[in-house]
Amino acid sequence: MPKTKLGYKVGQFLMFAGPAALLFCLVVIVPFFYGLYLTFTSWDGVSLNKPFVGLDNYSAVVADTDFWTSLGMTVIYSVITVVITNIVAFLLAFLVTSGIKGQNFFRAGFFIPNLIGGIVLGYVWKFIFNRAFVSIASGVTGATVPSLLSTTQGAIFCLIFVSVWQYAGYMMLIYIAGFMSVDASLKEAALIDGCSSRQAMWHVTIPLMRSSFVTCIFLSTTRCFMVYDINLSLTNGEPFGSSVLAAMHVYRTAFTEKNYGVGQAEALVLFIICAVIGLLQVYVGKKGEVEA
Amino acid sequence: MNNSWKRIGTAALASLAAVGMLASCGGSSADDSNTLTIFNSKSEIQSQFEQMAEKYTEETGVKTEVYFSSDTISAHLSTRYASNNPYVLSMVDAKDVYSLGPEHAVDLSDEDWVADTTQAISVGGKVLGFPVSIEARGLMYNADAIEAITGEEFNPEDYQTLDAFEDLIDELKAGGMESPTGVLKEDWSLAGHYLPQVYEEQEDPVAFVEELNAGTADLANNDKFNSLMDTFDVLKANNYAKDSAISAEREVTTQNFAEGKIAFLFGGNWDWAIINQYDYTDGLGIMPVPQNTDDGTNTKLVGGGSKYFFIDSSDNVTDEQRQWAKDFLNWLVSDPDGQDFIVNTCSMVSPFSSNTLEPADPLGKSVKEYSDAGNLIGNFNGLPDDHYSVLGADFQKYLADQEDRDAFAKAIETYWSGAKMTNVDAFASSLQ
Repeated sequence: MPKTKLGYKVGQFLMFAGPAALLFCLVVIVPFFYGLYLTFTSWDGVSLNKPFVGLDNYSAVVADTDFWTSLGMTVIYSVITVVITNIVAFLLAFLVTSGIKGQNFFRAGFFIPNLIGGIVLGYVWKFIFNRAFVSIASGVTGATVPSLLSTTQGAIFCLIFVSVWQYAGYMMLIYIAGFMSVDASLKEAALIDGCSSRQAMWHVTIPLMRSSFVTCIFLSTTRCFMVYDINLSLTNGEPFGSSVLAAMHVYRTAFTEKNYGVGQAEALVLFIICAVIGLLQVYVGKKGEVEA
Repeated sequence: MNNSWKRIGTAALASLAAVGMLASCGGSSADDSNTLTIFNSKSEIQSQFEQMAEKYTEETGVKTEVYFSSDTISAHLSTRYASNNPYVLSMVDAKDVYSLGPEHAVDLSDEDWVADTTQAISVGGKVLGFPVSIEARGLMYNADAIEAITGEEFNPEDYQTLDAFEDLIDELKAGGMESPTGVLKEDWSLAGHYLPQVYEEQEDPVAFVEELNAGTADLANNDKFNSLMDTFDVLKANNYAKDSAISAEREVTTQNFAEGKIAFLFGGNWDWAIINQYDYTDGLGIMPVPQNTDDGTNTKLVGGGSKYFFIDSSDNVTDEQRQWAKDFLNWLVSDPDGQDFIVNTCSMVSPFSSNTLEPADPLGKSVKEYSDAGNLIGNFNGLPDDHYSVLGADFQKYLADQEDRDAFAKAIETYWSGAKMTNVDAFASSLQ
């Protein structure tokens, strides 16, 4: 069969991409549009009929101050977490590629938090914050020290701390790949030309690792916006419902309060934010390629 | 030639794989049609339930499978409904029977056990919910710990008023128990169990809640609210974890109570599942929450049927499966093994009068005493779904001294003025 015929092309496509495309449609595209449809109904999640209510759910989202508070909290959480995660991950990557003794051991060690599920990790750290740290602090000061998790700011701090601890190892891997991809001869050339090693890092290595930075920053940003597991097991929104992040609010609206339509509409807002971030990544990434 | 065979082979394999994937998606529900699937929503009895199901399968030949999910009940069931794969028998909370029952539950009015209990739930004249157990709330006491200090027998009836209760607290403190109480900070305990008493102990709970919704109730000057909050203040002031009330863990608090390090803890007979994990002392029990009132509410526990079974009415379940489910419910009520399972294996209080087995645990005994004597104030089973989480946050602020009583009352009024009243309406109409 000639390889330019349409039938041949379609056949080839179906053979290689068909199963994946079919599955993608079934588990992503169809649910997405079904979810979109649900935002126009006042479904409670279990009822057999789904009354059509037009744009009511969207005006409910606009009026839901708790949602915007949790979204604001999520932005603060994400910005701080992303910045710290990437700084820590970069420094760790630098450390374990600089040829220190036992660097493979350290690589594995820093990556392990990522292999523990967020739920387990949350419970482990809850124990550490609530019991271990409290016992130590109380022992040192002699007075009863309240747990960090029992204060509004403390709970957010704990969330950020644990997220950084979990994500940094993963981002470190990407930075390590970035470091490895920079040809050693370029750095040597810079050093011979009289650069200090810090200048070589700043002007040669980091610009060449641009794609690693783009990947890491956007990956950690979308992860932070969608975070749920750590939020659930570490703070569960407490104290006083102050640490409810966006995803948890969406879940509670949809399932606890049985406001499926409103919850779905709020999820759509969250999706749009993440989609914009994702598209921005593609745009920034492409732009960088042209310059390099 | 060789090439084209390869190509055909690959294509065949690929399509086979795709078909296989599709088939595995749709297959799971078909496998259940010869099984009595039971959803259990009480985590503390899941392993007992599984063992019972095995035995039940052996004895009756009906393949029985028990499932559990730590998810919210309605959230979990909604995923099963969405996949057209509901449980034949689902254990849910009372409020779920009102919200799910009319659409999803089979009418059980003709069953023999209906006449045997006062706790079955009817909606629209049809019995839809089978009560699994009786649970009641009150102040749990550790008589051993109290008697060790006072030196005389502890009789809960002597401490029905807050004044008498405070005197006892002072005596305990003077005797060396620095902080005789504990407070569970969980939102379901604060705003799902303690706060609802404010509605339940009104003369007409539904009317009171409707007043709150209409904005005509003055909570800050309501006698019942103030009397319950006065008692809560005493519990709060003598909390062993006073400085870390918001991070005190349920397990630690319950352990302290079980071992007699503290003497009082607000809770219910479900707490037995946690207490018996520890080295508990004898003499535990539940008494009414002490209040300075003469309306009689300080002589009664609050509670009633807790956890209900309903049978799915959809086409996804066969009539044969429904019959198995009905047989199973009858087995729980009247078969000696079923009765033993409820009372002794699961430590629950049976809501059926034909089940005369004595509850195995001391808290259950207390509840049965009050229940047999007709001293239970009924649950308000129509709270909006977000009541415990929204007001739980405010109650926690009150517990942490970040909000005073007036602000808390205002928060409750604000919540009710914007609350969804569907559950209240459903509950109100079932009472008529």
